[in-house]
Amino acid sequence: MAAFRGATFAEGIAVIIFEYVTKRYPGGTLAVDDLSLEVPDGKIMILVGPSGCGKTTTLRMVNRLVEPTGGRILLDGRDVAQAHPVALRRGIGYVVQQTGLFPHRTVEDNIATVPLLNGWRRATARARARELMDLVGLDGALARRYPQQLSGGQQQRVGVARALAADPPVLLMDEPFSAVDPIIRSSLQDELIRLQAGLRKTVVLVTHDVEEAIKVGDLVAVYRPGGHLAQVGTPERLLAFPADDYVEAFIGFDRGIRRLSFFPAGGLDLGLEAVLGEQDTVAEAMQVAKSVGQPWVLVIDPERKPLGWAATAQLELLPGERALSGVPLTGYGHTFRPGADSLRAALDATVLSRTGQAIGVDEEGRVLGVTSFDRLRTAIRAAEEAEAEEAEAEEAEAEEAEAGAGPVPGETRA
Amino acid sequence: MVWSWIPGNLGLIGQLTRQNAYIGIVSAVVGLVIAVPLGIASARWRWLYPPVLSAANVIYALPSLALFVALIDYTGLSDITVIIPLTLFSLVVILPNVVDGLRSVPDDVRQAATAMGFGPLRRLVQVELPLAAPVIIAGTRVATVSSISLVSVGQLIGVGGLGYLFTDGLDRDFPTEIYVGLILIIVLALACDLLLVLARRLLTPWQRGGPDGDAAAAGLTSPAVRAEPPPRAAPAALHGSTP
Repeated sequence: MAAFRGATFAEGIAVIIFEYVTKRYPGGTLAVDDLSLEVPDGKIMILVGPSGCGKTTTLRMVNRLVEPTGGRILLDGRDVAQAHPVALRRGIGYVVQQTGLFPHRTVEDNIATVPLLNGWRRATARARARELMDLVGLDGALARRYPQQLSGGQQQRVGVARALAADPPVLLMDEPFSAVDPIIRSSLQDELIRLQAGLRKTVVLVTHDVEEAIKVGDLVAVYRPGGHLAQVGTPERLLAFPADDYVEAFIGFDRGIRRLSFFPAGGLDLGLEAVLGEQDTVAEAMQVAKSVGQPWVLVIDPERKPLGWAATAQLELLPGERALSGVPLTGYGHTFRPGADSLRAALDATVLSRTGQAIGVDEEGRVLGVTSFDRLRTAIRAAEEAEAEEAEAEEAEAEEAEAGAGPVPGETRA
Repeated sequence: MVWSWIPGNLGLIGQLTRQNAYIGIVSAVVGLVIAVPLGIASARWRWLYPPVLSAANVIYALPSLALFVALIDYTGLSDITVIIPLTLFSLVVILPNVVDGLRSVPDDVRQAATAMGFGPLRRLVQVELPLAAPVIIAGTRVATVSSISLVSVGQLIGVGGLGYLFTDGLDRDFPTEIYVGLILIIVLALACDLLLVLARRLLTPWQRGGPDGDAAAAGLTSPAVRAEPPPRAAPAALHGSTP
């Protein structure tokens, strides 16, 4: 099934492989049903779905907090069922929503847990804990505090630091940011992305928050109730090509706008026709506005920084020889940077602009040109076409690999 | 109150006080030592707890005098004859606290410990017992205080610590003796209780100033930064109300 192609990554070695994994609880409840999935080395795989869909069970089978009733899970090529559970778990970082911090241990001793279990000397383990506090952005002064004396966000950072203390190659995160308020959550997500850029762990993260999945994940596995996978792929791919109505509904109806986050604004063609200097005159501005057929011109200073929009309705009332520096201007709202921002930012700036045009600036804040809805439409279409071509190429490549490599565990019967 | 009686009988008073303290403390300590493994087993195997608790309650319902009399045949008129029933009473008081204390360890903490790679024994010793400690110590305080005061009942078979002063005072119609015995028992009980409070402070530094088994012991955390100790919990928390 084409929808599952995203699960087999060409680059990197898959370190966690689920092969036809099933978990049926003694009562007969089927938590996970015949799941096959590859989590590539050094990537963040998000398991997302409604509650009770089996995503947490999937996660907990990796470190054997839950034992599968069918299939097997390979970690670095070895079946986890063959490993000693305690040894296995010390090599896997684990972060949970309610932090699971030890209330009776100080922050530094909480973080030093696994190193201490591994027989490190206390001083060495605590030194390591301080390093990690620094890494996750915790003030060293908190080292001797107890977890309940910390804020929710700080506790969650301690949880992450504790999971990373023994430098495990694999990190399992079960709704790690669900218990904190949206602002803290967003900063913790940013922090995870920043950490991951340096650490390159193989991360499996469970969430019910689609926004979080799309923001944080390299790959996203969407579950449907009953422990089935609905679709696996990059966030871009999910937004562009949801496999079915369920995935589309689950992702949300603004996916068209959200996927623009993955298109750089650099492809946008910016117009300079209606941009004038502050020394230019009202008459010149009126003429430009007439020739481009719009009621606004943008006025910039000699350094090309934007000053504001001049409306023809007002310019008409002023003497033609007056310089634009002497006319009332309308504020230009927020700008975007084609080199750094996405088409979503450009669209947002355009929608919010009173003139229906947003200003693209370089890193110095100098005007590069202005957008329009027509220009955005063209850029979005071009980006979509490029993406579709890329998808086709990838698919062809995957098919070739498949023909050579036999059955691919990334395939699943949905 | 005949104050002059006291200096003249310091030797007797000291000896009786020591005996009372010895019997009371040994009973509580042995009760604790038996209650902990029994409580661990009862928390671990849930089916075990109801019959154990019922048996314990039956023991608690037995009049101590009947137990003394029954034991005389085996242990004679010795300290042991008093220590055994008092140990059983302590056990009955402490056992539910051990079980409730262990059950009050938050699930996420227990699971996190397992996921970190604690084996079952290490998890018990390094995570569960320390977190249950405040509740266990609370039970031990009750057991210790009641053991110390119950020692005097042993006077009915002649081994009663300060209880001797009660019977002797009655026989001789000499209230001073009774008052002295009463006050010393109270002082002894309070002193032991104070020691246990201090022990809890030392053993559970994460619970700054909170009462036994308070919110912090149950591992409840607040998202807000707390500058002051957590609020005092209702006494119900003593019985391990698991969230």
